[in-house]
Amino acid sequence: MAARTLLLTLANLLIPVAILVFATGFFPYKPFMPGLAEYDNLGWEDGMGWSNKSVADAPFDRLVFMVVDALRSDFVYSEGSGMTFVQSLIREGYALPFTAHATSPTITMPRVKAITTGSIPSFLDVILNFAESDTTSTLATQDTWLAQLKAKENGKLVMYGDDTWLKLFPDFFERADGTSSFFVSDFTEVDNNVTRHVPDELLNNDWNAMIMHYLGLDHIGHKAGPKSPNMLPKQKEMDDIVRDIYSAIENEDHLQNTLFVLCGDHGMNEGGNHGGSAPGETSPALVFMSPKLTKVTHAMEKKSPVVPKAGTEFEYYRMVEQSDVAPTLAGLMGVPVPKNNLGVFIEEFLGFWDDGRDRIQLLLRNARQVKSIVEATYPSLDFGDVVTQDHKKECDSPSTGQQLACKWQGVVDVMSTRTKIEISSRVGQLYKFMKAAQETMSSTASNYDVPRLVLGASLAVISVFLTLFTLPAFTPMSPQGLFYTLILVLYSILMFASSYVEEEHNFWYWATSAWLFYLFISASRKEWTANFILHPAIMVLVLHRIIRRWNQTGQKFAGADDIVHSPLFHGSYSIVLWTMIGSAYVDVTNRLSRHVARSIAAFEGLSGVALGAPDDEFDPNRLMAFIAVLPLGVTAFLFKLAFTALDAPELTGGINQDLLNWVASLGLVGIARMVFGGIALSAFWISVAEWKRAQGRRKNVDGNGDLAVALFDLLTLFLLTQTKAQNIPLYLLFRLQFFFLSTLNLDPTSLTTTTLLLTQTSFFALGNSNAISSIDLSTSYNGISGYNVTLVGILLFASNWAGPLYFTAAGTLLLGSHGGANSTRRHIDTSELDDRDWVREERAHLERLARQENIVAERKKDSGRAWSDHVSLMTLWTGVSVASVMVACAVLRQHLFIWTVFSPKFLFAMAWGIGFHFVGTIALGGLLWKVGRW
Amino acid sequence: MSTTVIGGAPPKPRPPPTPISHLPTDSARLYTHIHPLLLLSLYTYQFPSIVADPVAGLAATLVPLAALQIAYVAVCLPPTGNGTGSGAGNGPASGGAGGEKRKIGEKKKANGSAGKSDGIGGRIIPAVLSVLLSLLVAAPLLTAALVLFGAPITTHHAHTLLCGAHIAFLAAIPLVYVHGVDGAAWRDAVALLLPVDEVYGGLLGAVCGAWLGAVPIPLDWDREWQKWPVTIVTGAYIGYVFGRLLGGTMLKGKKVMF
Ligand SMILES: [Zn+2]
Repeated sequence: MAARTLLLTLANLLIPVAILVFATGFFPYKPFMPGLAEYDNLGWEDGMGWSNKSVADAPFDRLVFMVVDALRSDFVYSEGSGMTFVQSLIREGYALPFTAHATSPTITMPRVKAITTGSIPSFLDVILNFAESDTTSTLATQDTWLAQLKAKENGKLVMYGDDTWLKLFPDFFERADGTSSFFVSDFTEVDNNVTRHVPDELLNNDWNAMIMHYLGLDHIGHKAGPKSPNMLPKQKEMDDIVRDIYSAIENEDHLQNTLFVLCGDHGMNEGGNHGGSAPGETSPALVFMSPKLTKVTHAMEKKSPVVPKAGTEFEYYRMVEQSDVAPTLAGLMGVPVPKNNLGVFIEEFLGFWDDGRDRIQLLLRNARQVKSIVEATYPSLDFGDVVTQDHKKECDSPSTGQQLACKWQGVVDVMSTRTKIEISSRVGQLYKFMKAAQETMSSTASNYDVPRLVLGASLAVISVFLTLFTLPAFTPMSPQGLFYTLILVLYSILMFASSYVEEEHNFWYWATSAWLFYLFISASRKEWTANFILHPAIMVLVLHRIIRRWNQTGQKFAGADDIVHSPLFHGSYSIVLWTMIGSAYVDVTNRLSRHVARSIAAFEGLSGVALGAPDDEFDPNRLMAFIAVLPLGVTAFLFKLAFTALDAPELTGGINQDLLNWVASLGLVGIARMVFGGIALSAFWISVAEWKRAQGRRKNVDGNGDLAVALFDLLTLFLLTQTKAQNIPLYLLFRLQFFFLSTLNLDPTSLTTTTLLLTQTSFFALGNSNAISSIDLSTSYNGISGYNVTLVGILLFASNWAGPLYFTAAGTLLLGSHGGANSTRRHIDTSELDDRDWVREERAHLERLARQENIVAERKKDSGRAWSDHVSLMTLWTGVSVASVMVACAVLRQHLFIWTVFSPKFLFAMAWGIGFHFVGTIALGGLLWKVGRW
Repeated sequence: MSTTVIGGAPPKPRPPPTPISHLPTDSARLYTHIHPLLLLSLYTYQFPSIVADPVAGLAATLVPLAALQIAYVAVCLPPTGNGTGSGAGNGPASGGAGGEKRKIGEKKKANGSAGKSDGIGGRIIPAVLSVLLSLLVAAPLLTAALVLFGAPITTHHAHTLLCGAHIAFLAAIPLVYVHGVDGAAWRDAVALLLPVDEVYGGLLGAVCGAWLGAVPIPLDWDREWQKWPVTIVTGAYIGYVFGRLLGGTMLKGKKVMF
């Protein structure tokens, strides 16, 4: 027994270690160069006739950088765009349009990093994006064009809009006003907060860069997609702001050398979400504007609106990399290129310099800076300034590093040639090198730490093997054990198929249906129910069928009909939704009142007053308790209503407007805190009471686990608070599933299998998937006014894993047979009652009642074993799933979809493996199991 | 070997069900092997039109499928109540409801007449009745089961119904033919208590095949045949043929144990 516990503990400890080791190899920490770049020596002084320190004059000294969140290319360039002023600037040659390719993950923080540093942010930034205030993710110490502009003489920066910038650049800005996107239903306030500062700032001449970041358009996308009726007016609003700023640049003297950049940080897909790498998400617009641009645009074809490049949906004009913005701005503003930049100066702007040597100088500095990163990555290769003899050999090598060395040799070659050669061939060679370096360095293949990948995956496999020795004996092989094994085997195979990673919910729905039907067959073998349609297992299956249609999730059928988007819940019908939500809250409140009534009775009992029977309908304690619990239930419900009125006003259509106005005036943070406080207080109160009751009982007599049920109901209330309104009716269905399952008399292995299937099913049914864009942030700030990574992280986890947490608790209760009215009937061999003779049945029933106490006592004896079996099976599952995801990621690391499908899956596997397994299965489950004996 | 009497309950009067064998005639022996090939040929031949237009294709295939199944049961199988399987199928518990008792009487009569006129003509009528029963009872039930397992509920009604009808024709016609409307046999069929034979094996195979047929749907192969319900029906056909084959040979007489 002790050896088993030791093995199981070891296996469990290995899981997080394996995950972390693998993560450091999979998302390696990129070597980054500290400090600010300076203009360094150019080289080839004699040949080129320049001085080593010479710097080409910059055409601009001021920058207005306007980011419109999720500004997809077609929102600006297409026929149907509302940005007609920008289009007129393009036609007149005052604006130079591009499509800026954004790499996955297409969420704001990594994109801002790419734009400002010119580097390709690692996938780890996704995690840091959610842990927003983490100081390690700030760019305060990194080289960016912001830092360069600030370091300039009289350099002052101002910033208005998305506070991501304020978190990335703490204490950078002279003046700033950050807006946060708490509610995506806010389309106007977030933008007015920015726009109101613009007129004043345009009159100030103390800044040399003004950054604006508008969030409204992104919110419209999240709420109603790119075809929302609000989209065109928002584009027009943005266009008017561009017009105001542009005319100020034209008319104000102090702004005449101002470069005005309008860009999106990422785009959006057809659903209005982003995070992945669909063409719509990776194709934001990028427009440079200034009256001075005619100098470079006069020879170009100027057309607008246009259609995207043939064969693409969103590729308008020329496609550049988002990281190219950094060196281009550096060149145009006359500052050194940021040190970690992998971008390439945009060729169209070379026309600003008439002297060919200035152009080469600019590109050479860009190339030398990129080369220094390449050199750091391939320290063994020669990137010197002298032509070497064996560089021909390198050009034939298939190794990407040697190919780069060869291209650099080509640069050295053309730079060293004394004879007068065409400037364009030098420019061409420089671009050849930089483009190749950009491509190589941004492809991640060279960055994996393969030994660590192998080590991490091996540790996970070892954990699986250790767990195998702790498993409950499966001899003879039971069908439920077989089914469990089958799930694990199939899952491991599916993790290698990108489409099944995207459509993982289908696997769980499919397996769960079969399992529930098996439960029906299994029960029918023992005892045939005359009305088999109403058999509990069939009822759970019917409920499962409804639950799986609640939210459409996954990629392939994204946007298909589901219950949440049906007209049933919208507009004036939202009263239907709110009736269901109300029932969910009434149910929880009522159940809580039962526990509180018992607690009152417990204290009465102590003080020698009469003991009230808690389940008695005429119990005065029950009434008192209901009155005591009511405020908590009502507050929780009002919070949900107030939150939804702000977050999803389309769901509160049928609700009385005065009521909505009143709850809106209450202040969300305060009510949320009241709800959380109420839950904590109730938990404390009931725990003390149950502890007293437990003390009052004789030794050796176990309680009936009332405290576990009470904590489960409090957990339910907490999870309701963390769930979006449209998903709350699901808890009524979960509750029914829980009830029917409790009448099924399942054996422990079947219960663990059921728990596993329902935790997974409920995760996807609540609208989650293995895509980062499906992570729901909206309820993660409940009751939090500042930024607190830990609290936001806990709430984020609780809201996205609410379903799994619910079912892991429910499963533990079922395992301990604390759930439902029929709990004491469990584990009685009903096969004895098969003869359908009512007399026999009646007699058996009486016998059963008589034997009940013995059975309960017997079960308590080996119930400790039931829990450790459960843990060891769940550990096996976690180990197998984590190991298979790791092996899939390691084997498929060159796969086309590695960054779009498999890496996000690994992040989710991390959350399941560390977050859910330890917090949910072991900590929460263990607690409920422990107090279940009280 | 009845699992219903585990645990020392009084022994039950109902005889344990026994596996069905095909009729001991040469034509039965021959056709029982040709039949799966004919089924698969029919399905392969119709497959392109089913993929092109599932509703029209499946509807058109239903009639020849019924014809093939009628031919199969009439040529190869003992009709309900026939003694070939040594009491197979006529085992409603005498302790059961009165209605069941009445049915036994009926079957006894049918048994006698079938025994005398051992010709195919006498077996066509029960075969056609099996088709009707499968169409009217089994098909709706299987369609309901399909919906329960995730078939679309607001769209593709004809698709799902035809899919259910195909599975019913494959799996239920032979079973209805040999077991009739014997409630106990059907209960045992659902509870996996019947011994495996080529008829019951076919049912299990078709149902499992249909379930496994859902696996390719989410893959991103962008093939026409991934659409609903082509893979399910295909799985049912393949599963039926496999189940029949295994049930009639290797696994014959075995019971699903758990
Ligand atoms: Zn967004």
